[in-house]
Amino acid sequence: MRRFMTAGITLLISLALALPAAAASTPKEDIRKTVDQVLTILRDPQIKGQARREKISPLIRARFDFTTMSQYTLGKNWKAATPQEQQEFIRLFSDLLEETYVGRVEAYSNETVKYGDEKIEADRAEVKTQVHSGNVDIPIDYRMVRKGDEWFVYDVLIEEVSLVKNFRSSYGEIIRKDGFAKLLERMTEKIKELRSGTGKPGTAG
Amino acid sequence: MLLRSLIAAVVFGGWCLTAGPGAAMAAEDPAAPAGEIDFEEGYEPNGEVVWDPIEPVNRGIFWFNDKLYFYALKPVARGYRAAVPEAGREAVQNVFTNLGAPVRIVNSALQGKVIGTLDELAIFLANSIFGLGGIFDLHKESRKPSPEDFGQTLGHYGIPPGPYLVLPFVGPRNLRDGVGMAADSLVEPLPSPYYLKVHQAEVIAAVTGEQINALSLDKDTYEAVVRESLDPYLTVRDAYMQNRAAKVAK
Repeated sequence: MRRFMTAGITLLISLALALPAAAASTPKEDIRKTVDQVLTILRDPQIKGQARREKISPLIRARFDFTTMSQYTLGKNWKAATPQEQQEFIRLFSDLLEETYVGRVEAYSNETVKYGDEKIEADRAEVKTQVHSGNVDIPIDYRMVRKGDEWFVYDVLIEEVSLVKNFRSSYGEIIRKDGFAKLLERMTEKIKELRSGTGKPGTAG
Repeated sequence: MLLRSLIAAVVFGGWCLTAGPGAAMAAEDPAAPAGEIDFEEGYEPNGEVVWDPIEPVNRGIFWFNDKLYFYALKPVARGYRAAVPEAGREAVQNVFTNLGAPVRIVNSALQGKVIGTLDELAIFLANSIFGLGGIFDLHKESRKPSPEDFGQTLGHYGIPPGPYLVLPFVGPRNLRDGVGMAADSLVEPLPSPYYLKVHQAEVIAAVTGEQINALSLDKDTYEAVVRESLDPYLTVRDAYMQNRAAKVAK
C-alpha cells in the first residue's frame, strides 16, 4: 500500500514538473495557429469587408516581432537613430506592412497552406510552408525568434526573397541619399496613399 | 567585325566581373555547412549593397519598361485574357515551358546535377510525345521548381554576378546572367539559328507572345510592387539579386 502511495506521489510530482515544459510551443505550431485562425476568418462567408480586415489584423500583428524586424531592416542605421526615431520607425513600419500585406490577404480565394520542415537553432527558427494557389505553389518561409514561451516572426521569405533584406536595401539607399527623416516622411505618405487607394499606375518613373 | 566586338565584350565582361564588390563576394565561403541555416547571414548591419555602377541609366530603362508595360503590354494582355479562356492560355504556357526544356537540360548537366538533368529530359520527352508537342504538361504536379539557365551555370562555377543592369523589354539582369541569356539563346529552339528555320518576325512575335501570355496569367505582381514600394526600382533590383543568388545556391 505504501509503495503504491509513493509511486503515485512520484508520478504526480514528475507530471507537475513536466507541465511547464509542455506549455512551450514549437515555431511550426505557433505559425500554424495564426495562419489557421486567419484562414478560418477568410473562409467564413458571413464576415466581409472592413469587419474581416479588423478581425485579421490583430491576429497577424500578434504573431510578428516588429522590433526585431525593424532592427534588422535598418541595420547600422538602427544604432544611429535616437530612441524616439526608433519607436517612430517601428510604428510606421508595422502600419506600412499592414497596409501592404493585409490588403493582399483580402484577395483570398481558396488558397491552401502546406507546412514543411522547421529548423530550430537556440532561439531562432525557420518554418517552411507552401501556399497552393490556383495552379502554382508559392514557397513561403517564416523566420522566427523565441520570446518567452512563444515564437514570433521577424522575416518572411517569399520564393527565397527575404522581405527584411529587400526593405533594408531600399530603405538603406533612401537614408543614404536623403536622410532618416525623409525616409519616415515617405513612409507616412505611402501609408496614406495605400489607405486611400490612390496609388497611381505607371508611377515607377 | 562580329569577332572583334565579341572579344571586346569578353574583355569588358572580365573586367566587370573581377572588379567591384562582386569579386569579393564570390571569394567568401558560406559560414554554415550545406543544409544548415546561418541565421545571421545577410542580416549584418553593414550588409553589402548591390553593385550598380550605371544606376542613372538603369533607372531610365526601368522607367521605359514601366511605361511599356502599362501602355503597351498590359492592354494587350487584358484583351488576350478576355479573348482566350485560362485553359487555353495555360496550354500556350505549357508549350513555351516545354520549348525551354533544352536550356534547362543542358545547364543542369553542365552543373553536374544528374537527377535534375534526367528529370527534365524525361519530362521533355514525355510532354513532347504524349503531351502533343508540349500542350499538355503531364508532370505539372511533380515538377521541381528550379529551372536552370546558363547564368546559374556560370554562378555555380564561382563567377560573381557583376554589375546590375536593366535591359529594355527584358528587365532586371546582372552582367553574368545577361551573358548567360545570350548563351542560352543558342540552345533555345525558338530564336536559335540551329534548330528551327523561322523568320525574324516570327521569332519576335513568338517571344512577345510568350511575355503577353505570362502577363495574362500573373498580372498582379509587378503592379503591386509599383504601388506598394517607396522606390520600385530599388525593390525590383534587390528582389532580382536575392532571387538569382538563391537559384545559384540551389
